[in-house]
Amino acid sequence: MNVRKLCYVAATVGALQSCIKDAPLNPEADIETFTVAPDQITSDVFIDQTKSQIRLYLTEEAYQKGIAPLIKVSAGGRVSPASGDSLKFNESGLKEYVVTSATGTQRKYTVEVVQTGVWKFGFERWDTVSAAGASWKYVNPLSDDGRNIWASGNIGIAITGVNEISDFPLHATTEAKDGKYAAVMETKPGNALSGWMGIHLFAGSMFMGNFVTDYLLENPLKCTQFGQSYTGIIPKSFTGDYKYQPGATFIDKDATPVPGKTDECSIYAVLYTGTTRLDATNILTSDRVVATAVLADGTAKNDWTHFDIPFVAVPGKSVLSGQPLMMAIIASSSKEGDHYRGAVGSRLILDNVEIVHE
Amino acid sequence: MKIKISGLVLGMLIAATNTFAQDNGKEQTKNSGFAPGFEHRILAGLNFGATTPIGFPNTIRKVNGYWPEFSPSLGYELSYRVTGRWGAAVAVKLDYKGMGTKDEVQYFPTIITTEDGGRFQGDFSGKNKTIVRNAYVSFPVSAVFTPNNRWRFNLGGYAAWLFSSNFHGTVSDGYIRNGGPTGEKVIISEATFDFGKNMRTFDIGLQGGAAYRVGKKLSVNGNLNWGLRPVFPGDFQGMSFPLYNVYLTLGVTYKI
Repeated sequence: MNVRKLCYVAATVGALQSCIKDAPLNPEADIETFTVAPDQITSDVFIDQTKSQIRLYLTEEAYQKGIAPLIKVSAGGRVSPASGDSLKFNESGLKEYVVTSATGTQRKYTVEVVQTGVWKFGFERWDTVSAAGASWKYVNPLSDDGRNIWASGNIGIAITGVNEISDFPLHATTEAKDGKYAAVMETKPGNALSGWMGIHLFAGSMFMGNFVTDYLLENPLKCTQFGQSYTGIIPKSFTGDYKYQPGATFIDKDATPVPGKTDECSIYAVLYTGTTRLDATNILTSDRVVATAVLADGTAKNDWTHFDIPFVAVPGKSVLSGQPLMMAIIASSSKEGDHYRGAVGSRLILDNVEIVHE
Repeated sequence: MKIKISGLVLGMLIAATNTFAQDNGKEQTKNSGFAPGFEHRILAGLNFGATTPIGFPNTIRKVNGYWPEFSPSLGYELSYRVTGRWGAAVAVKLDYKGMGTKDEVQYFPTIITTEDGGRFQGDFSGKNKTIVRNAYVSFPVSAVFTPNNRWRFNLGGYAAWLFSSNFHGTVSDGYIRNGGPTGEKVIISEATFDFGKNMRTFDIGLQGGAAYRVGKKLSVNGNLNWGLRPVFPGDFQGMSFPLYNVYLTLGVTYKI
């Protein structure tokens, strides 16, 4: 009887201690969605949560007239200028939005209008990316006019704890064909954290498009959002210069060496229809693909090697007038890197990439 | 041969102790003619409780489930009665302390470090399932109060050494933000964690309880063990708040 009483006392003490407190105020200050009328964009708006940047791909008309975006922020937060306010691009001054969270944290988003007029890239401008209080920093190539056209998986690798610029698979090198810099992609070994996710190597890669971190654990292949808005017809060819050295030991997804197999690089361009980006799960298989230009020879090249690959239309596909198009350029130091297969140490250097029109 | 002799000696010892205990029992029932002496008890029971924060942090939004893991407690107690009512006891116990819980958290800060020097810091919002099952060798020391021949109360402290640890679980249906609340979002449909190796190997705390005699030598007892030392070291940042072992042992004692 009294034992039971004792239990009650113990349980009551426990219960008193275990009261659920009031919900904490939301410290998040994200722009979650930034909606522009579909007829005003040439491809989907991208919100880069690492750089706190909203990338807009606008029609000429929308650029001239301005837009009135609908903005959704983190629960409890507010944004200034407000959702629905017009945003003009013909006025000078920085275009930015400030989100204030329920706790008062502020986050500033800048707006970048991305236009890809010149399809020629020398990788001479590089941007150093980091975050407040973060120990990591990596570099990312910019277009000659300073736009964020290129992306890589570097942020995903930063999340697993890689810190130094040269330890990231994509960085700049002075070993250039022309100009001062070229882009170098190196297949790097995984680490303990990536090992938990079953990832034992990070293939070096860069691509035209954007990288989202959301699906990093669920489905990393969906993180690479390939493509930039493109206008015109199927281009003539895809050209550039590269050097490639495969790493010593090719390993499988589970890190076991595959004897006799040598790593290969991959360099290709894809033209497809629509305004929503394809990703690594469907870039070559989607029925939206119109034409491709794929480097056939992915073997070692000790000296600078020029490639000039004609675009080949997918049988039965052609570009209809007025149809929205997107172009993606994708390069990797390990051809099967998207399946975490390759050789640590494989190194691809890329320079002077161009989409050549007639 | 040696074993047989040892067995015989042990048997004789037990018989002798039993006789002594019975005599002692008779004396107790008479409640007179007390003589100071040692008492021996076997303790057996189950631990119910939690490895828990004392006062929930506001990052824990909802507790969806709790269950005790099978956590036996087995030990031997040696006590000495100085007077008719007062005495002291020391014991050695094998104590499993375990539980499982399912909860929902919001903006829950965590820092995970790996053996290769890797480090991940982030805030998690979503569901969590944690299973704890730790085995300790513990040494309770008590003052014992015996007001009559039915009741026996004890109060004191304990020191415990961890020899086997389990602290693992899953996080699911949520997301983690790299670096803090404004970092990159990574959706987590399900991921596992294991902090078993990070646990402190030494625990110290308060304990106290009561036993009620139901047979000649058999008593039922309840004993609360309240850990005063967080189960994770100060530099462990997988969770931003300290957890303590708070367990109630329900069981029997058998006087030998």
